[in-house]
Amino acid sequence: MTLLVARGLTKRFGGLIALDDVDLTLADREILGVIGPNGAGKTTLFSVLAGSIRPTSGEVMLAGARVTGPAHRTVRAGIVRTHQIVRPFGNLTVFENVLVAAIHAPGHGETRAADRAAEVLSFVGLSDRAEQLPVTLTLAGRKRLELARALSTGPRVVLLDEVVAGVNPTEALAFAALIRRVRDERGISVIMTEHVMPAVMSLSDRIVVLDRGKRIAEGTPQEIAADPRVITAYLGTEAAPEDPPEAAPEAAPEAAPEDPQ
Amino acid sequence: MTAPSPLIPRRLVAGFVAGFAILAVLPVGVELSPYAHNLLTSSFIMIAGVLAWNWMGGFVGQVSFGHASLFGVGAFVSARLMLSVHLPVPACWLAGAVCAGVFALAAHPMLRLRGPYFSIATIGFGEISRQVLTYWERFTGGASGLSLPIDAVLKYQLYWWALGFAVLVALASVAIRRSSLGLKLLAIKADADAAADVGISTTFYQDVIFMLSGTVVGLSGGLWASYFGFIEPSDMLGFDRSIAFVLMAVVGGIGTSLGPVLGAVVFVLVRTYLLASYPELYLGLYGLLLICIILFEPLGLTGLGLRVVAAVQRARRRRSREVV
Repeated sequence: MTLLVARGLTKRFGGLIALDDVDLTLADREILGVIGPNGAGKTTLFSVLAGSIRPTSGEVMLAGARVTGPAHRTVRAGIVRTHQIVRPFGNLTVFENVLVAAIHAPGHGETRAADRAAEVLSFVGLSDRAEQLPVTLTLAGRKRLELARALSTGPRVVLLDEVVAGVNPTEALAFAALIRRVRDERGISVIMTEHVMPAVMSLSDRIVVLDRGKRIAEGTPQEIAADPRVITAYLGTEAAPEDPPEAAPEAAPEAAPEDPQ
Repeated sequence: MTAPSPLIPRRLVAGFVAGFAILAVLPVGVELSPYAHNLLTSSFIMIAGVLAWNWMGGFVGQVSFGHASLFGVGAFVSARLMLSVHLPVPACWLAGAVCAGVFALAAHPMLRLRGPYFSIATIGFGEISRQVLTYWERFTGGASGLSLPIDAVLKYQLYWWALGFAVLVALASVAIRRSSLGLKLLAIKADADAAADVGISTTFYQDVIFMLSGTVVGLSGGLWASYFGFIEPSDMLGFDRSIAFVLMAVVGGIGTSLGPVLGAVVFVLVRTYLLASYPELYLGLYGLLLICIILFEPLGLTGLGLRVVAAVQRARRRRSREVV
């Protein structure tokens, strides 16, 4: 069943076209990876889907109903995002951070909100830090908090903007497992962007590749890894495996091992 | 580091109840001089006003330099109703408060601004209001202001009206701070965009709080008008008065539920003393005080108090260890 459909999403910032006629579908309980070089439009796509910025044209439908923003309405409709650079409410405890997001969850009063917040905190493994302030958490902990806050709004679709980036390899593995549990145990569909290729490749059911605002490829992780257009977008046309990765300094080193050629 | 507990210490509650009881019976037990009556009553009115300012400036973190306009609108509407319509006085106060609350909604377009940009816009809001009320002579009496009939009984009773009002606003402050609404306001203060991304309508809650804050400040304006019997736009809506709200909150502890109470008391006392003794120095000394507080103790007197409490507890623990 298709849960979310985006049609012809276009976003212009003055003369710059950040998103150029992007179509996107997300099935119920699917994990969709969105990849692309820096500046490809991934974060803009997320901001449009989450309702924080209004697209120049195009529309987003969730379960057949049009979602137009602003952000707080999109959240109540069931689409919630996390931020690439974590943004905890520094003046609230870890528990309150999650509680304040749980208050608006559909059909739940305030006591239920506290229960839900506690449940989500234990789901992401932060129960023992509930009464502390976010500054005491490690980066990985704050990323878990960011995820917990999003989950406690009771979403149907969660948009994860580079949740694995920047944490150490052990934590990255734990995160990948957590994201899978978000889908398997909570039945929430996931759209994730990520520069850490092994994470996207192993987690995603399907991957969409963006380059300069356009959707250039779509398919299973295996198909994407073999797609010449994707390799071109990441490495440039003259790229050979021994070349220094000048074309895409951040993405190239992770992308190269996935490259079967 | 753990977050401060949202529960208010029982001893503090007892202190507030005792303070309230003493103040409530004070004029009955002791013959207050008009000077003391005046100081106490204006302190109560200012306590209510600054606590409501703090809902916007402290809880939401939108520092308003234009609250004098709400104070003035409340005062002039209630005074005009007393003079021209002869409604019962409390009804005039309420009407003034409601008008100030509605007037605060006019600030809606400024709510998309944050931080210093919002503050600067509120200066404009305050100054425009002052100009309009100054030139609207039929309503406000213009530069010569409005004089209310002197009513000695009402003036005497206003002590209790103001005290009760201040206590109600203090209770409301604690209730807001500890409710889910307070949590949302603090989230907006921390990061408005992130708050929107978890489903909080930031403009709606700011509108609500600005309106509530305006209503309470407008009511304090009405009480002020009745107590002093004479109001005039350039004083009631003056920039000095707007700054006074900011100063009282900062001195007492901006963003804390009850800290501004201390700020208001200190402000009224110090201001009266300085105005009497060193009128030319008074604003300068306040500036100095403000700089010291922001540099050394951002939570003002409340922060200072918490530090003293912590130091006493440390000393006590050390002593008990020595005994063992």
